[in-house]
Amino acid sequence: MKIQTLKRSTLDRECPSDLRRASRNLDPTYHPLQRAREYTRAVTSAKLERMFAHPLIGNLGNGHRDSVTCSSLSRRSLLPLVSGSADGTVALWDLTSRTQVAEIPAHTRVVTGVVFAVNGETFYSCSDDGFIHQWTLHANSEQHKHNSIATWRIPGSLKSIDHHWMDVSFATASDSAVQLWTPERSTPLQTYSELWGSDDTVTTVRFHPVEHHLLAGCSADRGIGLFDTRSGVALQKTILRMRSNDLQWNPMEPMNFVVANEDYNAYTFDMRKLDQPTRIYKGHTSAVMTAAWSPTGREFATGSYDRTIRIFSLQEGAARDIYHTKRMQRVMTVQYTLDHKFIISGSDESNVRLWKARASEKLGQLTTREEAAQQYRSSLVKKYQHLPEVKRIHKARKLPKVIKNQTAQTLIMKESADRKQANRVKYDRKGEHSFVGERKKVVVKKVD
Amino acid sequence: MTKRTSKHSDGFSKKDDSSKGEPAPKSREKEFDPDGSMKISRGLSNKEALLQQKQLLAKSQEKNEDAIQRQLWGVAKETAQERRETLRKDDENPNLAKLNEKQKLALQNRGRKRVATALVRHETKRLQAAVAAVDAAEILQTEQAGLLEAENEMERTSGLSQVALKRQLQHVDPHAASNIYDLSLSQSAPYGLEYDRSGRYSILYGKSVGHLAMMDCQSKSLVTEFTVHERVRDACFLQNFTLFAAAQKNHVFIYDHTGAEVHRLSDHNDPMALQFLPYHWLLATIGRAGWLKYQDTSTGQLVSQHRTRLGACSVLRQNPANAVLHAGHSNGTVTLWSPASSQFLAKILCHKGAAIHSLAVDRTGRTMVTGGADKQVRVWDLRMYKELHSYFTVGGIPTSLDISQRGILGIGHGCHATFWGREALREKVKDPYMHHLMGGKRPVETLRFRPFEDVCGIGQADGISNIVIPGSGEPSVDTAEYNTNPMQDAKQRQEEEVRALLDKLRPEMIALDPDQVGGIEESDPHKRLERLHDLQEAANAKAVPQKKQKTKKRGRSKIQTQLRRKHRNILDQNTIKLRELREKEKLENANDREGNVAHKPKESAPAALRRFF
Repeated sequence: MKIQTLKRSTLDRECPSDLRRASRNLDPTYHPLQRAREYTRAVTSAKLERMFAHPLIGNLGNGHRDSVTCSSLSRRSLLPLVSGSADGTVALWDLTSRTQVAEIPAHTRVVTGVVFAVNGETFYSCSDDGFIHQWTLHANSEQHKHNSIATWRIPGSLKSIDHHWMDVSFATASDSAVQLWTPERSTPLQTYSELWGSDDTVTTVRFHPVEHHLLAGCSADRGIGLFDTRSGVALQKTILRMRSNDLQWNPMEPMNFVVANEDYNAYTFDMRKLDQPTRIYKGHTSAVMTAAWSPTGREFATGSYDRTIRIFSLQEGAARDIYHTKRMQRVMTVQYTLDHKFIISGSDESNVRLWKARASEKLGQLTTREEAAQQYRSSLVKKYQHLPEVKRIHKARKLPKVIKNQTAQTLIMKESADRKQANRVKYDRKGEHSFVGERKKVVVKKVD
Repeated sequence: MTKRTSKHSDGFSKKDDSSKGEPAPKSREKEFDPDGSMKISRGLSNKEALLQQKQLLAKSQEKNEDAIQRQLWGVAKETAQERRETLRKDDENPNLAKLNEKQKLALQNRGRKRVATALVRHETKRLQAAVAAVDAAEILQTEQAGLLEAENEMERTSGLSQVALKRQLQHVDPHAASNIYDLSLSQSAPYGLEYDRSGRYSILYGKSVGHLAMMDCQSKSLVTEFTVHERVRDACFLQNFTLFAAAQKNHVFIYDHTGAEVHRLSDHNDPMALQFLPYHWLLATIGRAGWLKYQDTSTGQLVSQHRTRLGACSVLRQNPANAVLHAGHSNGTVTLWSPASSQFLAKILCHKGAAIHSLAVDRTGRTMVTGGADKQVRVWDLRMYKELHSYFTVGGIPTSLDISQRGILGIGHGCHATFWGREALREKVKDPYMHHLMGGKRPVETLRFRPFEDVCGIGQADGISNIVIPGSGEPSVDTAEYNTNPMQDAKQRQEEEVRALLDKLRPEMIALDPDQVGGIEESDPHKRLERLHDLQEAANAKAVPQKKQKTKKRGRSKIQTQLRRKHRNILDQNTIKLRELREKEKLENANDREGNVAHKPKESAPAALRRFF
């Protein structure tokens, strides 16, 4: 008779410092109720994610003395941040220590734009008072007080400034014209006024990050326009229902840009097809003032008059996350840092705030096991995100009452409008009414 | 979706012809990499995927096909398929009138080529993963399971006695030989025993005087021992060896591994059987009153209590695959319970006219074995709730049953312990695998296989017998599964306790289909909506006010009155006679009152002649 008994190598450790030996048995019958356990883990993960969601890191220094109107991060390095305020001062910040490096009494009126030069050594500021100043990064407050490197002056007030992505030129938008400058010359290289036959103020100009000669701008006549700096030709313009406050090019897919609109929505457009937006990003309950792309180009953050910052992922029309604090007022400027980990916001109550881009992320170096656990948790949530319990926890956000009520009201308004339209279509004998897609309604007119 | 199953069954049944005469791939097609290192990209064509699937199947045939199937389908392959079938029946005739054009088109196009290709691709990918997993397992699992085989026709494995086995093992495997021993404990006999999930510890409970002892089976040393001086009917470990519960005369008590009493569960009266559900942290008890009670051992709450209405019950076992409790009753039925429903999930008449004495469910949750007072051990398929076959036990009623991790069925009947091989659950087998006879007429009380060891513990009237059943225990331990590692140290135990608590399942998750939680209902959405609508309507329906009963006169329902009422209008000779008499009397009375006495017979006349006057 053939007899053999169970043989197993002993799992004993020889000394306490040895790692415990692990063995696996992949037979599923030894892991009963696996689906239910995984689901339970997913629920726990969703809960943990919400528990650890503390997005606000803190304020930078003591903030400005008046509302923050504009800000800019260097395109070359992670740290320097410059912000402009409504009282005409420009402040330089150190992000690691969250302190103010310098405060420059740069202008006499509202600072409307700041931007870093492409080399990251100098930055420009422009203001309602008609001055453009160039400043160096490497100087203390005292030196700054007297020394701007260069100054330009135009009649009227400046609304926006942006720097070329490759060379030293920069563009400004004023109430009279869009102008192209170089630091060597005291007069603009090019001036564009009366574009598309209208003399409305251009409020924002942005250089295209890849097609370096392309400029995009938002104007006060609700338009978004593209023009070419080589030929001085206006290319295209599209008129939306309401005015756009900000425009930002997608850093990774630079044919696309996002527009922060006055009608509470943000829109992404393909510049080759300006007759309708590629997607509508809804959720804000007041005008969207500013937008900033994550350097990955998959997400962008928006700041709004409704005192919240929302982070939208490119694929979804609803915000992935909503940031707010008790004291933060209308958000005027938002920046995404180059490591796509932080968001900086400047708001009406004069503070500059630093936020985590992913609310529940742990900062600092993670151990391998921590990282693996985190990845496992997030993939579990992703796997079960459509089940009601996980969905409820994952999507839950505590919002201020005002915003909650306004959101509910917006929903009611939308439903009512839809119903009305449905009735119109239903009882329409002459065939005058039909359903129009949401995206089709956004663009009012296209001008070439 | 119906297509899918048929495709599957075809795919696996055609293994034979596909393995050999397959056409060589065309030159423009990608060369299939037999080692499986080639990634199956999304762009794989249907043909390529099919070819690859064929080759994988051919390969799987050469290797351990059973293992690959297990990897592919897990436990619940059949159950899941069965469920899908029933749901599909819903979808057979969807109400076409209710669908719009788009939906109709979608229905027509269901199972078209694109979907079919996607399915083939998906299945190939799964198959490849399964083959890889089995390959990995072959390398990683160095453990070896036990084995007992007859070498010629004349030999029978059941003829091997434990004494002979011990003699043979003593030189080959002294550790295994040392597992064959008897503990004679007469103070509190008869004895029962129970192992923990890792198989390292066991509790021995003497039923009469209440002698409770915990043993470390590895070092064969006593952990704790005490006497409660009352009857102990059952005992079981909770999450690990540090806590165990005992069903005593009046209540359930929880003790820790030092022997200190931790809790008295006074809600559980007259308990007769205990079960602990490790993933739900529930202690279930059933007792003399027939109440099944679930107590959450992590929060201490009584989760639910169900009245079985089937009298006292002392047979309670859990189905390890889905945590449903099986209770065996004295009328020969087995009922299946979950804490979520106050009614049993299923009721099976297992032994006609004979009480159920023992019950066991195998690890896959497919097979149940019951032992009844009719000396039959019946094997049931839990997917169909049908009997597969039965074994007759000679020498006594099967008082205790257990199925080992690797599927060996142990039956304790009278003074015998009979063991049936792994295939005995699937088909009727002629000869048992092993047999053990307690000397000196000591009936078996409990028989339990020790997890992860080739050992079976038998509690009997004179103590404990420990015997070796080669091939009963699972050799490979998964250290990541909670509390199943026999070599676990204190630190690991503490960590696993926390982890197990974090993963604790809610009691309402217990259902017959373990994959129901977190799954998707595969059914026709329209039917489902209708069903939902019906449910809502039923819930919202106004409660119909009950008709108020008329207030009846007192005494109306008396039997005498009822009878009288019934006979009021029936005219028979008697009544006619009576009526005539009454009429006559009336007339006479009237005459009397008028003073017409002429007709009155004289008083003086003799009675016989009175009518003539």
